[in-house]
Amino acid sequence: MSSLLDIIYSMLFGGTLFIIVLNANDIAAENQSTYHGDMMVQQMLTSTAQLIEGEFRNMGFGMPEKSATVRAADSSSISFLTDLGRDGGFIDTIRYSIGPVSELAATQNELDRNLYRSVNGGQRAIVGIVTTFRLQYFTMDGELLSVPVPSDRLSEVQVVEVTMEVQNSNALARSSVQVKEGERSALYSSSLWQQTRLASQNSRR
Amino acid sequence: MGGRAGMILVVGLSFILGYIGFNMNRYATDAVGNMASYYDASASHNLALAGANVGLSKFYEDTTWYGTLNQSFNSPSLKGSFSAKMHDLGSERAMLRSVSSYQTWYAHTLHDTVEVYFNKRRLNSFSMYAWMTDFEGNVFWITGDTVWGRVHSNGNLHVNGKPVFMDKATTSKHFDPKPGVGANKAIFKKGYETGVAKIDFPTDISEIVTASTSGGRNYAGAIWVTLSPGTSATGDGKVYVRATQFGPIIDSISLSDPTFNGVILGTGRVNVQGAMDGRLTIASLSDVYVQDDIVYEQNPLEGTSDDLLGLVADKNVVVADNAANNSNCVIHAAIFARDVAFSAENYASRGLSGTLGVIGSIVQKERGAVGQFAGSTLKSGFYKRYRYDPRLEDPTFRPPYFPGFYVKTYAITNWWESYRISEVQ
Repeated sequence: MSSLLDIIYSMLFGGTLFIIVLNANDIAAENQSTYHGDMMVQQMLTSTAQLIEGEFRNMGFGMPEKSATVRAADSSSISFLTDLGRDGGFIDTIRYSIGPVSELAATQNELDRNLYRSVNGGQRAIVGIVTTFRLQYFTMDGELLSVPVPSDRLSEVQVVEVTMEVQNSNALARSSVQVKEGERSALYSSSLWQQTRLASQNSRR
Repeated sequence: MGGRAGMILVVGLSFILGYIGFNMNRYATDAVGNMASYYDASASHNLALAGANVGLSKFYEDTTWYGTLNQSFNSPSLKGSFSAKMHDLGSERAMLRSVSSYQTWYAHTLHDTVEVYFNKRRLNSFSMYAWMTDFEGNVFWITGDTVWGRVHSNGNLHVNGKPVFMDKATTSKHFDPKPGVGANKAIFKKGYETGVAKIDFPTDISEIVTASTSGGRNYAGAIWVTLSPGTSATGDGKVYVRATQFGPIIDSISLSDPTFNGVILGTGRVNVQGAMDGRLTIASLSDVYVQDDIVYEQNPLEGTSDDLLGLVADKNVVVADNAANNSNCVIHAAIFARDVAFSAENYASRGLSGTLGVIGSIVQKERGAVGQFAGSTLKSGFYKRYRYDPRLEDPTFRPPYFPGFYVKTYAITNWWESYRISEVQ
């Protein structure tokens, strides 16, 4: 009789433990997914931000003084000149632009799109996946220029403000009860980066 | 037996939970670590920038300094250093390089570099001055004179009355008398400066001579040059050259010809007139004579213009005394008279000739005369109406091979900052 009770108690205890472990595993998996998503998003954001910061800071390097370094400036694209090789030779044209959201229609996130970089009109390379890539341009006096910046005012661009948001392509599902009015049905981990006063010293000469 | 099984169960369970917890912590830490790495990279970069700024400050205090500057920081919030070093890159260029070392929280050292390039000698064009003389003579700036653009003289600037200088006026000597004293009631809209460094005139125009024989046109003796604007389209101007005033055309040059460098030179007197469309410098090893109006197809004061003419004489640039010039004369050009002056022929005896209108700049060794006044009444020659061509403010915008001068400077020409792209590509 006592053996039978031992077996019953053991099964109850073991079952409880098993349920606890399964539950813990679920929670751990969910947290792991969230943290992993955050990590990926931030990794994408910081690497893209470092590239943009670096290249924008060197805008106009190797160009003669007083020559316009920004060739085209719109709210989500920019084209500028710099000597990438730093050899005092050929001046390169770098262009940053974003693609349409339809290019990444296969992802769960309906807002993400490719951020492209091209050099000298060559093939575009994807340098990041963003949900927001917004550019604003200011003169030396702090005047906000309208976009697209008219060609006769491109030489006045001294400061560029860059706003970039990266969201995870994969969603964290929510039940319909959790979704408030106006919210997207799924959650996406996101990270926002803004450089409000990105100025190249070369444009101040 | 039961006790041992319990132990194994507890240890196993602890291990599983511990492993899950470790992984969660790792992801959480890594997510924060990305931003921490970005912060570290920014701090390292800012340290290099600080080094560049400190180095710049040191260098501008003493431009003979070509040393190394090291500075370390060891506070709880900042552990790092920078080293800024000046490099002499020859007679024309110098460079300041600042390299940072930044100790990250994960015991890794980051380095960033900032390089600042200097131009030690800057070539300025004489055409950047609306009015410049080496020697003003005994000619006065008087009431009614208005100058747009920069004014400079290596000699004294004489003022009698209330002339208006719309841009900065400088002299290597003095104003006579001093501004605000006695008869000097001059108005300086952008200020004035005395005792500035003398700007030496070139000893010859050899650079233009060389250009005229390599890609330009070089004619022996006197020539007559007629400028033609071509069609109403821009950039299709032509130049016709004759050996005598009414002789046959000996040369025809298209200003849109890419093999033509834009320089025409005659070793004798060069006579010029016409309307031009394009960029050109007409030079003489003796004198340039303006025989009639010389105008741009597109007036730069009335809209956009890409026309640009330089009249360069080793001796004089002269407005000829002839029928065409005896009732006003208009010259659109940057004028340079290296050894003598810009003047009107027979200014004291030619009779009243109307107004001499110049749009461009006038640079001459000595201040020449274009008319003779009794008080404020013109007795002979021209009234003056000189307007500066504001495009010439940019010293890099000048007629082809227009004379220039070097100024000693340490202007920053380029600025480069290192950045990280390894994680992207």
